[in-house]
Amino acid sequence: MPAYRSTVLLCAGGGCISCGCLPVREAMEAELKRRNLADEVRVVQTGCVGSCDLGPVLIVYPDEVFYQKVSPGDVPKLVDEHFLKGRVFERLLVKSAETDNLIATQREFAFFNKQVKIVLENCGVIDPENIEEYVARGGYLALGQVISERTPEWVIEELKKSGLRGRGGAGFPAGTKWDFVRKAPGERKYVVCNADEGDPGAFMDRSVLEGDPHRVLEAMAIAGFAASADQGYIYVRAEYPLAIRRTRRAIQQAREAGFLGRNLFESSFSFDIDIRVGAGAFVCGEETALLASIEGKRGIPRPRPPFPAVSGLWGKPTLINNVETYACIVPIITRGGDWYASIGTEKSKGTKVFALAGKIRNTGLVEVPMGTTLREIVYDIGGGVPNGRKFKAAQTGGPSGGCIPAEHLDIPMDYESLAKVGSIVGSGGLIIMDEDSCMVDVAKFFMEFCTDESCGKCPPCRVGTRQIYGLLDKITKGEARIEDLHLLEELCGMVKESSLCGLGQTAPNPVLSTLRYFRDEYLEHIVDRRCPAKVCPSLIRYSIDEAACTGCSLCARNCPENTIFKVEDQKKYRIDPARCVKCGVCFDVCRFGAVVKS
Amino acid sequence: MDTMRGDTIGADAPDVAAIAAAHRGSRAALIAILREVQAARGYLPEDALRAVARHTGRSLVDVYAVASFYHSFSLKPRGRHTVCACLGTACHVRGGQQVVEALSRELGVRAGETTPDGEFTLETANCLGACALGPVVVVDGRYFAKVNPGKVRRILSQARSGVAAPEAADGERALVTEAVCPECGRPLLDAARPIDGYPSLQVSAQCNGWRGRARISCVDGVLDGAPENAAALERVRLFCPHCSAGLNDLLRCGECGVPTVSVLAGDGALVQMCGCGEQRVRRAEVEGAGARREIAQLS
Ligand SMILES: Cc1cc2nc3c(=O)[nH]c(=O)nc-3n(C[C@H](O)[C@H](O)[C@H](O)COP(=O)(O)O)c2cc1C
Ligand code: SF4
Ligand code: SF4
Ligand code: FES
Ligand SMILES: [Zn+2]
Ligand SMILES: [Zn+2]
Repeated sequence: MPAYRSTVLLCAGGGCISCGCLPVREAMEAELKRRNLADEVRVVQTGCVGSCDLGPVLIVYPDEVFYQKVSPGDVPKLVDEHFLKGRVFERLLVKSAETDNLIATQREFAFFNKQVKIVLENCGVIDPENIEEYVARGGYLALGQVISERTPEWVIEELKKSGLRGRGGAGFPAGTKWDFVRKAPGERKYVVCNADEGDPGAFMDRSVLEGDPHRVLEAMAIAGFAASADQGYIYVRAEYPLAIRRTRRAIQQAREAGFLGRNLFESSFSFDIDIRVGAGAFVCGEETALLASIEGKRGIPRPRPPFPAVSGLWGKPTLINNVETYACIVPIITRGGDWYASIGTEKSKGTKVFALAGKIRNTGLVEVPMGTTLREIVYDIGGGVPNGRKFKAAQTGGPSGGCIPAEHLDIPMDYESLAKVGSIVGSGGLIIMDEDSCMVDVAKFFMEFCTDESCGKCPPCRVGTRQIYGLLDKITKGEARIEDLHLLEELCGMVKESSLCGLGQTAPNPVLSTLRYFRDEYLEHIVDRRCPAKVCPSLIRYSIDEAACTGCSLCARNCPENTIFKVEDQKKYRIDPARCVKCGVCFDVCRFGAVVKS
Repeated sequence: MDTMRGDTIGADAPDVAAIAAAHRGSRAALIAILREVQAARGYLPEDALRAVARHTGRSLVDVYAVASFYHSFSLKPRGRHTVCACLGTACHVRGGQQVVEALSRELGVRAGETTPDGEFTLETANCLGACALGPVVVVDGRYFAKVNPGKVRRILSQARSGVAAPEAADGERALVTEAVCPECGRPLLDAARPIDGYPSLQVSAQCNGWRGRARISCVDGVLDGAPENAAALERVRLFCPHCSAGLNDLLRCGECGVPTVSVLAGDGALVQMCGCGEQRVRRAEVEGAGARREIAQLS
């Protein structure tokens, strides 16, 4: 193997692939070859680096120089400057949001240096399609050690000490769950990994599988050892083809290397893993529905108990955990439960990965110790709200969660504190909203999601969510009356109380939480028939500021309803409000800011 | 012949038989079988569902129940192009719903439906994992970033016409797929630096004391890389990056009257591009422009 003097890490996470990182890789390899540098500089395609809005992203080691928004056209110049002339290619560096200074390395970049990476320690660092890179970073050592030197009881004890709680949403202590499955009577047992990731604003499970799949496989094997199961399943949603491909490949490599299969590490312990691909239904993330889906049936939840730990797949005791939960296992085994427990808060241990998105400057994956404040995440790591707008609220927990208003920016992000303000950690979706986001609209969005995704088995959820949606729709159309607000609260309470599974039980949360903090905004929609954020189409109107209009006619040509007409004898245009369907096209196409929303 | 073929497949459905055979013995395979059948046939027609039932020993009702429960199965034929708009939370807060409505209005179908001419199937998705680019629309696997209702028409017309350069007549709209500087004849289009999935024009730009490289989208003529306030082409001076010839003082846009950028298209015609999205072929002008005509003859 040649001694490389430098390594180029090229992010090939989902976000970067969408903005074209693969042609950058080709260009890079071709250019290095052309300059006879192929033996000196190595290109490694990694999983998500985390800074998705800057893609395609390159990090050049050993100096950790961080290049953003690289296009294939930039590559020859970059190779020339960086590798031949030995200086940083400034044009592709990140600029600091506050000071406008260039940031040369990953270490100097606040987005990265405020994070603590445990789950994501390998993501964006190793090639996920090459098992050797995982092994080189200590991979499968923990499994070997556990099998040859430890007992299942020891594993469970460490896990209990670590204080790790399930990252799939409910936050159930992992050690306790493993113990249940271990003690459940039964010959055959199963280990299942929940990678359904149904929250429509979350992508950390996907990134872990895309960026470091072996970490999950190793953890599942350890779980198999602790729970004495010999078969595992990873349930991945079909919308994640890259994660499926890389996980499949990882399983294959692990089998070939003897880390999965029969008699692992020359012991009597055997363990293998298969992938099951979901076919797109949010409710399949619920554990009992997920198990039904693995069995090839419709993914419909059933009442618990019995819990899967007692009666799961084909009626056998089944251990089911989320991807991120598994991703914490190997570090806990290697470094000890006490070490893990030293991170985070008293009741919420370790780190949490958030998928930070929405109205935020740095979009992407961030991993922080539990208890980090929302303010630190939004401003220090996220770089704040762009375009000079103000932070209004953060939404956590997706369709089961709630929002956190600006007055709670200093809240520590952990299970207890979020519950106190009426939200949840959830699976880790963290959507930032600014003044231009309408909270009634957001509540309506989640409720529509729940009506679509309700499996239809129990009436409170099936009918109730639809009624709540209907009320919210009325409010956003300015057709509601004040009584409807009380009805809304009643309905929410009813659906929460009487639904069968978590979907229905938590579906009203986004409504209740926006009502709690933004009641005035609801009232404005109802009483004043006004949407202060100017989002709800029925409550806004578009008009043309004739002083700014240059008469370019662009809006008129694009209006789908032909409602924009030329003012006679003038080079000005005007909208006929009676026929306007408020599609917003004119607002977007006018390049002179002449179309105004009010 | 087509119906004949359909009938024979219906009778023994060898493709379904093969897929089912590959999964024999696996208790949980129904979803995987349906997925593979859909991949092969494009959707799940009734005859295929019947065949799946027969080959797996399940009842048709069972098979149908599973196929209709999961969103990713389609029981109806799909269009030639798939337009998928993201309705994840991040895209929603940036206006994704309006984008879906605009798509729906332009295509005349609702999400989940296919246009009567079989051209487009409109779909929505819950987070495509590219939240940083939101609102995201994916057309036949091509990602369009930061889409707003104003961009929807152009995205659809691009999809309709494909990437190939239409042989546009004088005065017709054309998508620029090849472009050179009218003065020096060197290439301006850079396939390596696409905007919205299409090669963009590379230019030097100057505006209010700022100078630098900028790119012009061939999809909608919008300038990228210049300071925000210069987004409208008419406030910026643009030059050929090779010979520094001015590019934007040649003609005014016939639609909106502002100065445009003119480049030579592949077949020697002058294409006039404007930030309003107009890209019209001007064959007549080429004749009159001295240096430009020579280039046209050269190419
Ligand atoms: C409607 C609904 C959807 C869910 N979706 C997911 C999901 O997408 N991913 C996940 O890991 N857990 C999801 N869960 C939670 C699972 O039921 C289960 O608690 C979890 O997989 C257990 O793993 P953990 O203990 O590691 O968190 C969902 C629960 C409900 C009620
Ligand atoms: S697009 Fe703007 S400037 Fe042009 S006619 Fe319409 S309002 Fe006037
Ligand atoms: S909002 Fe839409 S319908 Fe109304 S005037 Fe503008 S382009 Fe026309
Ligand atoms: S919400 Fe649209 S890509 Fe994530
Ligand atoms: Zn509103
Ligand atoms: Zn030139």
